[in-house]
Amino acid sequence: MAVEKDLKAILRNLKYSDDAKVLEQISEHTRQVHVRMAGIKHKLVVMSGKGGVGKSMTTVNLALAFARQGAKVGLLDVDLNGPCVPRMLGLHGQSLTMGPEGAFPPIGPLGVKVASMDFFLDDASPVRWKGPMDVSPAWLGLMEMNVIREFLADVVWGELDYLLVDLPPGAAADKPPVIAGFIPDLAGAIVVTTPSEVASDVVQKSVTYARDMGIKVMGMVENMSEYRCPSCGEVNELFEGNIEAMCEMLDLPLLGRIPFDRKLARTFDKGQPLLDETYPTIQRYQDIAGRIRTLLDYKKVLADKL
Amino acid sequence: MKFVCLNCETYMNFEKVEKPGEGTLGVFFGCPSCNAKFSMVTNPGETQMVSALGVKLGGRTVEAEPFEMTKGTLKDEATTGSGQMAAYLNEKIQGGQPAVTAATTAVPGEKSSSGCPFSAMVAEMGLTSGGKPGTAGVETSEFTWSADAKEKLDRLPSFVKPMVQSSVEAFARKQGYRTITLQVMDDSKNDSSNGIAWTPEAEKRLENIPDFIRPMARKEIERVAKERGMATITAQVMDDVKDKFMKFM
Repeated sequence: MAVEKDLKAILRNLKYSDDAKVLEQISEHTRQVHVRMAGIKHKLVVMSGKGGVGKSMTTVNLALAFARQGAKVGLLDVDLNGPCVPRMLGLHGQSLTMGPEGAFPPIGPLGVKVASMDFFLDDASPVRWKGPMDVSPAWLGLMEMNVIREFLADVVWGELDYLLVDLPPGAAADKPPVIAGFIPDLAGAIVVTTPSEVASDVVQKSVTYARDMGIKVMGMVENMSEYRCPSCGEVNELFEGNIEAMCEMLDLPLLGRIPFDRKLARTFDKGQPLLDETYPTIQRYQDIAGRIRTLLDYKKVLADKL
Repeated sequence: MKFVCLNCETYMNFEKVEKPGEGTLGVFFGCPSCNAKFSMVTNPGETQMVSALGVKLGGRTVEAEPFEMTKGTLKDEATTGSGQMAAYLNEKIQGGQPAVTAATTAVPGEKSSSGCPFSAMVAEMGLTSGGKPGTAGVETSEFTWSADAKEKLDRLPSFVKPMVQSSVEAFARKQGYRTITLQVMDDSKNDSSNGIAWTPEAEKRLENIPDFIRPMARKEIERVAKERGMATITAQVMDDVKDKFMKFM
């Protein structure tokens, strides 16, 4: 009869070596992300807890607003299953240009560089992954996170003043705060919500979760706060709610309010975004971008103005 | 991942990876002492799990290409995919019988047990089915709320309302008010939770800060004052905070 072996005792005398080189490769992945992000001054994520609140529209317009202010801007759309940024900026059908240094992103309006899952998909194709989905999709989350890691590690952004990351929707225990945790020296998160009570209820959960993950939440943008009539320009409320009170409770600055603007939305739907900075809704995005810059320079503002 | 040769009481060495079938991996190990060979074979689910890590077992022999994993795992890039695991199980385990699918099929005509298992607990906690506290008790108050103040409170989102109400009432209690007006609500916003007072001069200087970041600045200044054991924000405290931030420039 074989002698029972004490594995614990055996392992105590052995020195572990990573000869399958798994740990080594995972550390290298992290290093690559850090190297790629090193040339970017301010990295910001745009998130919400709820889908459909206009997060991508806000991200795209903030990117354009920073670019109008003379900044070098990159926009990373990591909504893998619903990428829409390229279409909004008229870049649908383009692709990343692969080279030995990495993947070069297409350049959109006002010089904004864009990377998105959309560049890997055919017209109207959803994202379909290889793999044994018939038994369990449990591995899917791990793989999606690694795809996002490739977007952070492989895109050649060059020197940027701002990188805005459009996160997928989701609240607590979901991907967004974890993705944000991937990004080294993240300046903070901009949270988008509508004044509807349902949306704000979920959004406040995502703020709490982001903070638990150590992400600095910079402020909130209230989207679809009003409806601007395309004919007469009159503005009316769309939802009943009080985002100001929520910001106060969450101790967050309200960065601005954006009306639902059919005319502006249509131009983005067609991939021919309106870029006129004198247009009232675009001015509001400009104001929000200005406030974000002030927040990023918070210490300087206090030193100057106190 | 390691294997131990229990005869030689040593780790086996990783040797190579082969692909014995679609969606499977054969990972080979050898004992450096007795030269015994061992191969671990993965099923498609386990293979996918390793592949999802974005690593090559045994390390890379060539540099990774940009978006190597993304391109390699998008279904349109290959013919493999859904059904692979079922086919594997069917062939290897069930001897050709149809594999069990992930979703459990309900028996026709059989009703699932009714009700949520947590409903009793939720009821005990006084929560509504929506997960929010029931309204009973929230609006009861020892204070008289003026009609406009009450209207302002009622317009708040339901999850904010109890907190605002409690904060305003705590302020009113501290000040000895019996009636809560709009003015009391506004004053309660500026009431320092640290119990720190502000001189008019310091308040005036705070107004130089853009309004949307003023609350943050107020908190920061009060934090500095508290650290220094000061109960009042004076011009001197403001100067100290200014100096502190000058150092970051």
